[in-house]
Amino acid sequence: MSRIALVALLLGAPAAGAAQGTTAEMLDRAVHYHAELDVEREVAILRGIVSPNSPFIVTQEQRGLAYKYLGAALVVRGQADSGILYFRAAIERDPFTELEPQKFTPKELAAFGEAKRLTFALGVRPVTPDTIDPRTERLTFTVLSTHAAALRVELRATGASTVLSLYAGDNDGPRELQWDGLLGDGRLAPPGRYELLVTGLSRLNQRGDSARLYFSLEHDHLPLDDTLPTLRSDELLPEQLPPGVARSELLKGFGLAAAALLIPRTLANGDLQGGGRTLAVGVAGVVSAAGVAGREIPGNVAVNARRRAERATANTTILQRNRERLAETRLIIGPAAGVGP
Amino acid sequence: MNAARLIWASIVAVCALALAPVQAAGQMSLHGRAEIGRVEYRVRDSGTVQPSSGVVFGGALGLLIGDRFEVWGAARGGRLTAATAEGEDRDVAEVQLAGEAYLRPWLTAQGGVNVRSYSTPLARQRWTTLRLGAEAHVPLALDGVRGLVRAQWMPVVSVSGLEHPDIALAAGVGVEWRGTRVSVRALYTLERYDFSGSAAAQRLEEVSSLQLGATFRLRTSGPKASETTPSP
Repeated sequence: MSRIALVALLLGAPAAGAAQGTTAEMLDRAVHYHAELDVEREVAILRGIVSPNSPFIVTQEQRGLAYKYLGAALVVRGQADSGILYFRAAIERDPFTELEPQKFTPKELAAFGEAKRLTFALGVRPVTPDTIDPRTERLTFTVLSTHAAALRVELRATGASTVLSLYAGDNDGPRELQWDGLLGDGRLAPPGRYELLVTGLSRLNQRGDSARLYFSLEHDHLPLDDTLPTLRSDELLPEQLPPGVARSELLKGFGLAAAALLIPRTLANGDLQGGGRTLAVGVAGVVSAAGVAGREIPGNVAVNARRRAERATANTTILQRNRERLAETRLIIGPAAGVGP
Repeated sequence: MNAARLIWASIVAVCALALAPVQAAGQMSLHGRAEIGRVEYRVRDSGTVQPSSGVVFGGALGLLIGDRFEVWGAARGGRLTAATAEGEDRDVAEVQLAGEAYLRPWLTAQGGVNVRSYSTPLARQRWTTLRLGAEAHVPLALDGVRGLVRAQWMPVVSVSGLEHPDIALAAGVGVEWRGTRVSVRALYTLERYDFSGSAAAQRLEEVSSLQLGATFRLRTSGPKASETTPSP
């Protein structure tokens, strides 16, 4: 059973490709007949293309083109109302549809203008993959309203509540908007998906319409360097003497103090009742303080301070280098389907 | 040999000790020291204790020869005020010539001659002493700080108008911080002199002091200068 399906698929695939090619050839012939004012043949071909029973595969673009030429042919045949209907169908499928003045008659152009007045549609051109330098370049969006309208164009990141307004005001026809890659807070737009929302209200018939464009944005810059981690305890020297050594230093200080206090008691002649005991107490206090205060290891403290300073200096340099690299960030723009995969 | 001859012999010995290693060491450092001290002087004569005290100022020049020997010349002076109405104020002046030899990193042998005079409106008394002793250095944990313990024996003491004392000893304890070019020291010392005589009439003298001194390395000559700032 699966083999049969596979064979059918293989047989059908080239037929579909040929049919698509056939539609393009038919459109070429219709355009040729239109230029030669052979309207009857042109209409026959175009009706075959737009018919639901067409055996050929017709893309949206081909169908819109067929509607455009069918509308023009009917106008030439004197069926202006029908022609306008087909023009409107073409405009609804692609609001950017236009009639080239050098290929169409003023009558056709007038009918097409009427179709645009009757049809309110908004459009936005898809973005093409591009890389821009936000310091010197801008990303251009092209939006359109088929006729006079109050237009609003907003940009928002996926999931973000803040909206950046790119345009708000009257519009008629196509309009180019430029974006510098910055958000409202002046910061570079972070990587992610973005939605460009175009909303508008017709000035002629008070009808509303909207159009959306999704695109992805990525940052392109040189790789950033990691800052140095906080110094671990095994990377630092002990800044305090071990308890045993500290106790020894304390005892030495107290021993000297005791010696200072003993001298006037032992060496001095008791009959003189002197010995400079006050002076001895003074120097005893000083040597005791030296013993108590001597728990710190100044050399190690200095080495650790130097290591911390070196790390801080290195991190400052790294951060500065990263900032410089980020300042040269380029934005990679590409089309996206919706707000997420 | 009488006392005067012994003292002169000691002076010569100290000078010889100072000069002998100059050629061998080939390097010398000149140091200067300024000091201020609180001095308490007590004397018992004829059963009456006369205490007096005052501030003494001093200065010294020292020569470090090589890294083992030093010789110092010092002068001090000040006025000692009597603590009692019966006592007399007196001026004290002293010159000192001392030599030191570093026996161990922590032990110094000291020797020297002091000439000291006490002057009152009525008389002047001169003391000439030969000192021999040692000073131990006890390094403390604070960077550059060490404790000092010294003991001195004065085998020869010549006092004008008095017999030489039976006991003449001195001891001291202090602490010193030594930087690269400057060192600061606080030193408590006590000198005891007991003269012969009956218990009641025995003459006793005692000098205790607390000196604060700052030593500066003034000049260094020779191929290799010592970074230490020694002090006597």
